[in-house]
Amino acid sequence: MTKVEAIIQNSKLEAVKDALHEIGVEGMTVLEVRGHGRQKGHTEFYRGREYTVDLIPKIKLELVLPDNMVEKVVQTINGAARTGKIGDGKIFLSRVDEAIRIRNDERGEGAL
Amino acid sequence: MTTMPSLSSELRSFYAGESDRIRREFEAIGDGYAAVVQRTTLLETVVRGLWQEHIAQGDNHPRNFALVAVGGFGRGWLFPFSDIDLLFLHADDESERSFRDPIRRFSQELWDLRTKLSPATRTLTECDRFDENNVEFTLSLLDCRYLAGDREVFSRLHDKVIPKLIQRESRGLVQRLADMTRERHAKYGDTVFHLEPNLKDAPGGLRDYNVACWLALISAMDNLGDWPDAKSLLPASAARRLEPALEFLASVRCFLHFRHGRDDNMLTWLDQDEAASRKIGTTDSADAADWMRLYFGHARCIHRFSTQLLEEIPAAWSLLHRHFQNLRSRLSNADFSVVDGLIFLQQPSAVQDSEVLLRMFDFMAHHGVKLSTTTEYRIEQVLPTLAATPPKGAELWQALQVILLEPHAADALRAMQSLRLLNLLLPELKTIDSLVVRDFYHRYTVDEHSFRAIESLHRLEQSQSEWDKRYAELFSELERPELLFLALLLHDTGKGVAGEDHIPSSLTIAGQCLDRLDLEPADREIVLFLIGNHLEMSAVLRRDIFDPQTIVAFAEKVGAPERLKMLCLMTYADIKSVNPEALTPWKAENVWQVYIATANSLNRSADQRFHGDTGDENVSRLYALAPAAGKKVKAFLEGLPRRYLQAYPAEEVLRHLTMAQRLENDPVQLHLKRGRHWFEVTLVTSDRPFLFANMAGVLAAWGMNIVKANAFSNQAGIVVDTFYFTDRFRTLELNLPEWERFQRNIAEVLTGNADLDRMLADRLNSEKKMTAKVKVETRIDFDDQCSPHSTLLQVIAQDRPGLLHRISSCLSHQNCNIEIALIDTEGQMVIDAFYLTSNQVRLSREHERKIKEALLQDLNRA
Repeated sequence: MTKVEAIIQNSKLEAVKDALHEIGVEGMTVLEVRGHGRQKGHTEFYRGREYTVDLIPKIKLELVLPDNMVEKVVQTINGAARTGKIGDGKIFLSRVDEAIRIRNDERGEGAL
Repeated sequence: MTTMPSLSSELRSFYAGESDRIRREFEAIGDGYAAVVQRTTLLETVVRGLWQEHIAQGDNHPRNFALVAVGGFGRGWLFPFSDIDLLFLHADDESERSFRDPIRRFSQELWDLRTKLSPATRTLTECDRFDENNVEFTLSLLDCRYLAGDREVFSRLHDKVIPKLIQRESRGLVQRLADMTRERHAKYGDTVFHLEPNLKDAPGGLRDYNVACWLALISAMDNLGDWPDAKSLLPASAARRLEPALEFLASVRCFLHFRHGRDDNMLTWLDQDEAASRKIGTTDSADAADWMRLYFGHARCIHRFSTQLLEEIPAAWSLLHRHFQNLRSRLSNADFSVVDGLIFLQQPSAVQDSEVLLRMFDFMAHHGVKLSTTTEYRIEQVLPTLAATPPKGAELWQALQVILLEPHAADALRAMQSLRLLNLLLPELKTIDSLVVRDFYHRYTVDEHSFRAIESLHRLEQSQSEWDKRYAELFSELERPELLFLALLLHDTGKGVAGEDHIPSSLTIAGQCLDRLDLEPADREIVLFLIGNHLEMSAVLRRDIFDPQTIVAFAEKVGAPERLKMLCLMTYADIKSVNPEALTPWKAENVWQVYIATANSLNRSADQRFHGDTGDENVSRLYALAPAAGKKVKAFLEGLPRRYLQAYPAEEVLRHLTMAQRLENDPVQLHLKRGRHWFEVTLVTSDRPFLFANMAGVLAAWGMNIVKANAFSNQAGIVVDTFYFTDRFRTLELNLPEWERFQRNIAEVLTGNADLDRMLADRLNSEKKMTAKVKVETRIDFDDQCSPHSTLLQVIAQDRPGLLHRISSCLSHQNCNIEIALIDTEGQMVIDAFYLTSNQVRLSREHERKIKEALLQDLNRA
């Protein structure tokens, strides 16, 4: 099993969610996060005051998938979240040893 | 009920059979009262049987040991899956030791029956101890009832130990009970109006009724030193009102227990559908929404009663509380007296006068006090008469806006709603009264959500959160907050109408309400704009908020900065009142980001000019208002910035047109009026050098403090300048004849018939030099990019008398034409934006440098 963590633009959440549903991904965790990569923050002036946005609001998606779905999901997220501009986000993959469904203690991919 | 069998296996089948019978009877007739009484009787039979079998063993009655029902079992209100609270009461430690094993066997039998036994073993001495950390035990004793064993031991508990314990510990007990109740209410957001309420623990639930009974009982025992007559514990009128509520809640809780098969008191949407279709607690057919209205009506009744006792009983005992309440009693006036934080009428019949009635809710909203039961009763009595001729129109709006602006407005609205007065005054709100709209986002009913939205804006001022402070500052800048509050009150009224999108229905319903209130057309336009667009800012959050195009499109939709401020605050309040976690810091930051980007965008596009009929809504409205003046309107608007049309309502634009048409006879046209916060003078005249500077100068010479100004000009060279100012010396406020002299003097200065320099010198000499409380650094910035026609100059500086005159004179001396001026003041800081041209084109870099140098020199001069 693999955990997919994708940092995407807020505006792309609906598109990514819809695209993932279309390929059969039902469950995901969505988090409101702030941060920056190469796309640093910027400064606005409002009524004479400096207002710095150094941590940019983003959306983080977390999904744990059977290994055979990972590549398809990565391509789907890429396709739906990409604008080609700086700030589109990143995808991270990591191994998951076990998944357990709390309701009935089911384990492994069946619990996903 | 049949007689009790003696064998455990038979006991089980007896218990199962009787439980099944009770369930079937409930399912057939839906009588919750009957079900809880029968279950209590069943359990009494069972525990007495087990007592005989395991403890008494035939006729050998134990001494110094009694079995006592406490808690819900003691009250005789045992719901199908409630805990069975039993007290094994011993006279001494010896008895406790000798009965340990029989008690274990007895308890085991009950657990094997799958009942939820909650046993406690105590000696009489232990019962006499009050433990602040286990108040629940002392409270459970208040419902104690003899079941079996040594009656003498029980009598000692009931007749001696408990009355003395309560008399000794009543203050502490009531205090803890009040604290626990407040904590419980806070956990449920202090409101009855949950979309999926907890029937037992939420405000207005059965626990509140228990609390009310305990409070009344403790209070009576404190006075009597003995048990009072149970029948007279609650006032007869209260008991009459509570009876139907209790019957309803008893039936619903039984329904939930049977349905869920456990002690689960959460009334979910699915339960609501099922309860409505099975007519639980009612004989009338109702859909789920109407059935929930029944629930809320009953819960509100219980909540009102228990919170009143919670206020009254500790207040009567606590010295500190009394002192505080006495301070509040000084709030009393000719109409109302305040006793123990509750409002009473000085003249009971005065409430027949709708003006006094509405003033009472204003009083409540202002001071944060509550209505006494007597006052509520008086109001309920006059409602039928009031319904025949309810106040309406400007009179009602005047009274309502005063209430909306007060810090405790939401509580006053809730009280009006609870008494059915709000629906009587604004029947449009009936659609959302206690309305459950099912989504996984909202937690409260639609009306409560709207009240909370209003409350969240009033609470901004006290908030310590960094985000709230930003919004609080924005709120303090609003010119007409009452319009925002009215929009919040009405924004979701459309949710009571079937359909996918509630906004069109909200607009229709709000339109009817605004007709009823006879709102000025310009005010009406703002309220409807806010309602119609209340989800727009949230929609922008789902787009790329760092994309300038997103912001420009949103700015175009909003149009004017004041509307943007209101919409931003509306979005904040709307999200915040959805549920306590809805407005995350992440979301608050995003809303703020959209706000400042849009505010900046609006200021940078202020000089986009109007050319011809562009299908603008404001223009269409102008043509509709004055169809005969079509061509003249078009000629007047030609070349004016689009911002002009957003800054003034259509009626004002037509007034400017009329003033412009009079210029042939009188070259300076003025219109002076007094607003709530400041005076406003509008000047319509032909453009000329130093015009704006001279106007600012004459206002300064009269001692007026300019807080805002707009200056616009059209292609024909007609200027429309509006100055908003406070009258520092109350010259105009106290002397009506001075209005005439003031306007005459402005005309004389503008036509060169008065010496402005001398007037200004006289004024500045006569004023003492004031020390600034906050030091504001002068800052001058130019922007050549934001406009294709002009250069934007922004000046930030310390506010002082005559400042605007100095800046604008300096600009005129530098051969600049002020195309647009947007003047604003924030505390001691002025934030002025000027769109400048020189010889009808943008300024050169060299010109900008010279202007900056001249301005800095002038402004840094003392």
